[in-house]
Amino acid sequence: MGNFFEVLDATFSSGNDHEIKNINFAIPKKGNIVCLLGPSGAGKTTILRTIAGLEKLKYGTISLNGKIISSNTLSISPDKRNIALSFQDNCLFPHKNVYQNILLGLERKNRKKFLYSPLELLDFFKLKEVQQKYPHEISSGEAQRVSLARSLISSPDLLLLDEPFANIDQILKEDLQKTVKDILKLTKISAIIVTHDPNEAFYLGDKCGIIINNVLKQFDTPYNIYHFPNSLEVVNFLKRGTLLNVKIINRQILKHKSLGIINGKYGCSNLNQFNEGKTVKLLIQPEDLLHDDKSQLKLKIVDRKFRGTNFIYTLRTPEKELIPVLVDSHHQHLHENNEEFGIKTPINIDHLVCFEKN
Amino acid sequence: MTKINQPFYSTNFTFYIIFCVSIISIIPLFTIIINSSIIDFDFTLFKNSQFLEYTKNSLIILFFVLFLTFVFGVIPAYLVTFYNFVGVKFFKYSLILSFAIPPYIFGYSLSAFFENFGSGYTLINLIWDTNNANSYLPNFSPIVNSVLSLSFTLYGYVYLLSRTSFVGQSVNLLDLGKSLGFSSYQRFFKIILPCARPGIFIGLSLVAMETLSEFGTVSYFGVSTFTTEIYNSWFIFDDLNTSNFLSLLLLIFVLFFFIVESYLRKDSRFHSLKNEGKRKKQALTGTKNFLATAFCLCLFFFSFVFPFSQMLYWSIKFPEYLANFEILKLNLNTFLLIFFTSFFLISVAIFTNFGNRVLKNRFLSFFSSLSISGYAIPGIIISVSIISFFSLISSFINFDLKTIFIGSFYGLILGYFFRFYSIAYNGIKSNFLKINYSLDESSYLMGFDKFKTFSVVHWPILNKNIFFIFILIAIEIIKELPITLILRPFNFETFSTRAYNFATQDLIEATAIPSIFLIFWASIFILISFKYFFQDNK
Amino acid sequence: MNFFVYAIVFFFSLHINADEINLYTTRHYDSDIKLYKDFTKLTGINVNIISGKAKPLEKRILEEGKSCKGDLFFLADAGRLYSSQKNGVFKKVSSKVLEKKIPVHFRSDYWFGITKRARIIFYNPKKISSEDLVNLSYEDLTDNKFNKSIAIRQSNNVYNQSLIASMIENHGLEFTRSWTKKFIKNFSRKPKGNDRAQILSVASGESKLAIANTYYYALMLSGKKGKEQKEAAKKVLPFFPNQQNRGTHMNISGIGVLKHSPNPSNAIKFIEFLLTHTAQEHMVNNTFEYPMIESVDPPSLITKMGGSFKQDNITNVSSYGKWQKDAFKIMQEAGWN
Repeated sequence: MGNFFEVLDATFSSGNDHEIKNINFAIPKKGNIVCLLGPSGAGKTTILRTIAGLEKLKYGTISLNGKIISSNTLSISPDKRNIALSFQDNCLFPHKNVYQNILLGLERKNRKKFLYSPLELLDFFKLKEVQQKYPHEISSGEAQRVSLARSLISSPDLLLLDEPFANIDQILKEDLQKTVKDILKLTKISAIIVTHDPNEAFYLGDKCGIIINNVLKQFDTPYNIYHFPNSLEVVNFLKRGTLLNVKIINRQILKHKSLGIINGKYGCSNLNQFNEGKTVKLLIQPEDLLHDDKSQLKLKIVDRKFRGTNFIYTLRTPEKELIPVLVDSHHQHLHENNEEFGIKTPINIDHLVCFEKN
Repeated sequence: MTKINQPFYSTNFTFYIIFCVSIISIIPLFTIIINSSIIDFDFTLFKNSQFLEYTKNSLIILFFVLFLTFVFGVIPAYLVTFYNFVGVKFFKYSLILSFAIPPYIFGYSLSAFFENFGSGYTLINLIWDTNNANSYLPNFSPIVNSVLSLSFTLYGYVYLLSRTSFVGQSVNLLDLGKSLGFSSYQRFFKIILPCARPGIFIGLSLVAMETLSEFGTVSYFGVSTFTTEIYNSWFIFDDLNTSNFLSLLLLIFVLFFFIVESYLRKDSRFHSLKNEGKRKKQALTGTKNFLATAFCLCLFFFSFVFPFSQMLYWSIKFPEYLANFEILKLNLNTFLLIFFTSFFLISVAIFTNFGNRVLKNRFLSFFSSLSISGYAIPGIIISVSIISFFSLISSFINFDLKTIFIGSFYGLILGYFFRFYSIAYNGIKSNFLKINYSLDESSYLMGFDKFKTFSVVHWPILNKNIFFIFILIAIEIIKELPITLILRPFNFETFSTRAYNFATQDLIEATAIPSIFLIFWASIFILISFKYFFQDNK
Repeated sequence: MNFFVYAIVFFFSLHINADEINLYTTRHYDSDIKLYKDFTKLTGINVNIISGKAKPLEKRILEEGKSCKGDLFFLADAGRLYSSQKNGVFKKVSSKVLEKKIPVHFRSDYWFGITKRARIIFYNPKKISSEDLVNLSYEDLTDNKFNKSIAIRQSNNVYNQSLIASMIENHGLEFTRSWTKKFIKNFSRKPKGNDRAQILSVASGESKLAIANTYYYALMLSGKKGKEQKEAAKKVLPFFPNQQNRGTHMNISGIGVLKHSPNPSNAIKFIEFLLTHTAQEHMVNNTFEYPMIESVDPPSLITKMGGSFKQDNITNVSSYGKWQKDAFKIMQEAGWN
């Protein structure tokens, strides 16, 4: 038995200039969630629309349940795919109220039974109060939830969500993310969720795909993407660390001009592809370096961000490289800008991720 | 849909039907083109001083009608939108009653009132006892008469469309104007008017199209215009070729306005109406209040009360004409025409629009938008092209289509289809455009096929406005004259043909009764659809 | 439900094929329709009617060709009859009755004059003395003494074209061209309005003379246009020109049988009916035209104007059609709008 859903060598095109080439990814099992992550304008929406059948596929194939649904010669019309898409912008029927809009989801042909009733969904998505209102009378966040509920209740084989939480405020968002994840897992509905928020993607997705500059750069588990980003673009997109020029001493030891020796764990590195003695770029993430007031190794602080549970200090090396360091917010004293900041030596990093220097 | 209908099959089916509709609807254009041989056309006509004068007359009339409809349309629209004055609610609605009066009926009233020994003479005699009342009455030239008749009956387009633009204007923008210290005068010219430009231009383009293809009124007053030349070459010189060629030229000229109009329409849909709370109307006081009321009152009086009361006066003065007036039959004829024509036009327009929306074929949408060019062709030319076309086709395919379409009810409906399809097509199109395409997509993604999407999504949103489009078509059909006159079956009369009949017998007094019925029904239609004329008010 | 029944009945009513004749007409008189009903009563033949403008109707007839259901075409101007005949609208018809009743210059092999109209001069006796009008002919209207005093309608009016055409027939193109140029210098105003408006202009004193068909005047005198117009008409007097030479310009309403008429014998019956004493009497009494047959007297309103004037019995009305285009060109060139 192959994958539940599969995109093979596909080229997506939204009509005009823009093409996203050679995309390959799959949802192995029913009930899995895939998140597509990327900067806005990367063409994520085009991919969703093509999967839904709203756009034609240029090359390659898309198959669902072992059946090809899109290829360059064939395109099953959207209404016959049993795929639901919840749009980013408002797509509620203006002549029906919230409850009626959700009920419409029940009218899908060959629909499988759904675990929850419409009323329960209203409750989950906190829409009870607005259920009698018409789309123009509710906020965009509410509309998005209605659309989500409507898509869910139609119980599709595959659910596509385009920025489902974009218009919802931060506090409610986290609640809803959990609700959606739970419902999807319980009802075993497979989903592809498009977002530009890495945290959301890492939380919801069993697998995440990073799309940058019309290319699917990496498709992997959230853990791997976070710790083993496979390209500079992914690193830059995730905005999690900084790149330092280091010299490879051997497979586990690197050397930086001012930080000195950096040790890595065996097996958790991608150093195999580089020759010894070569200068490469090493990804340093905020949690990689540890603070130590007593350390000899001191760097100047240029910025401090308070993030509630922790601080992120930005340090400057004599080579003018900026390095983020995470410090627990319970740490006794604050360090001010221009102050010297001690870093614990020797430096040990769990994952050594290096890139070719260009 | 049944299982046999593969998606591709039904798509093709739709494609061909729309294609056929478009082909059929450009028959008049096609016929005019093939019947106007440029080789046989005598180009010295363009140097003919008579011809130049006729063209000049057309342009003069066009210019003044545009100017007057601008004044009659924009000023009251501005007043009723932004100010409160005595009778503002009444005027807001009553000013569109002018749609119920066809220009030719206005023309009859105008000449009947101002002619020597006409109703104006009677009125003056009633007030002062004088024996040279005739000299007190202004003696308008035929051009002035034509301009007045057209302006007072057509300004409604400008009024409605500029009002919609005004209402749609952002309150913030106006507040901005106030905060910049603009006077209301400056606000009007610097903010309100420029922002309403697309709406006003659409209105003026419609007026221009009507004015240029209008013949009844100008010929009644005996103004020789470009259209007169079209008729003269046919009626007097028996030269239908020249007549067709000139119609084609006129059509090209009119098409210019048509393109402006459709371009602006496309543009204006992006300035969608967003109501940001209720705009506070400013109350006018003193002289300004008086002037606003007086202006609107005069306009209402001249555009509606004046022609209507002239007709009423005649019906009372000459009751004998009521005696052999077949009220029942005329009403029935008119209603059957309205019912069948609008049903046909609206169904075709819905199908075409829906099909174009589903197919998203650029060529086809362009082709379908060509099909509304009939609005720009004078009715008489349309009817002649129908006659020529079916005669040509019948001899070509060796099957007699003529008996089916010439002088029959079907032919009439076809004629109205050519003439008024644009009302149905554009009306439904603009409503379809208001339905965001993502709604269709959401519907497909809920597993609804195209026809269910239509019935669940489109129809409930469209149906309220379809009634309005029905009314618009109905008003046009009631007023329509040249097509009905030429293509009707034997013994078939409508209010407008009756009125015309009497007018040509020089029994203009007798036109009163059919005219009153005509105005009555048109007004009723307008009254019951008031709220649709002002949809922006929700 | 009722509505649909009506609708169905309505549809079928358009295709009834009883004993009937179909008539295309440019005469719009309601009184004519009454007359046709009398014909139906008399013969059992229904008369179906379409009225309209001459050329579009002609076009419809010609294009319908063999499938044309029409039998007859009734036109209100001799020139139009001639041009329709030339375009092949009519069938050659011979009827002893008609030939006997209609004077030869008011008919052709293809069509028959039914009623006559005189185009005459109306004057305001307060503004112009009757001495000025003694022995006046149309030809004399170029005289300086009528400077800025004549009201007449526009050149695209077919009656004017026929009038000028008869001038061409009698005097030739050159004479008519120069005559027209002088004639329009005597116009009191830019031509506008119909014939009645010209008479009213004379009544109001705006113009001294008007050229108009007699029945417009009679219509005003009849009171059908209201008391004011009747009073106005009384201020105006008719004058029959050309009494010393060929006679007053006469035009006709005439009818012909269509080439592909399905019921030509009924059609001829119908024409013959129109020339019966009662039919003629009915028509002239309602429309104030002159009767075609001698046994009928013109209505009293017309005879009051001058019953026994000399009609133009020399000029064949067919010639109007022959010269109409030239007449129009001459008028246009002269600047007659």
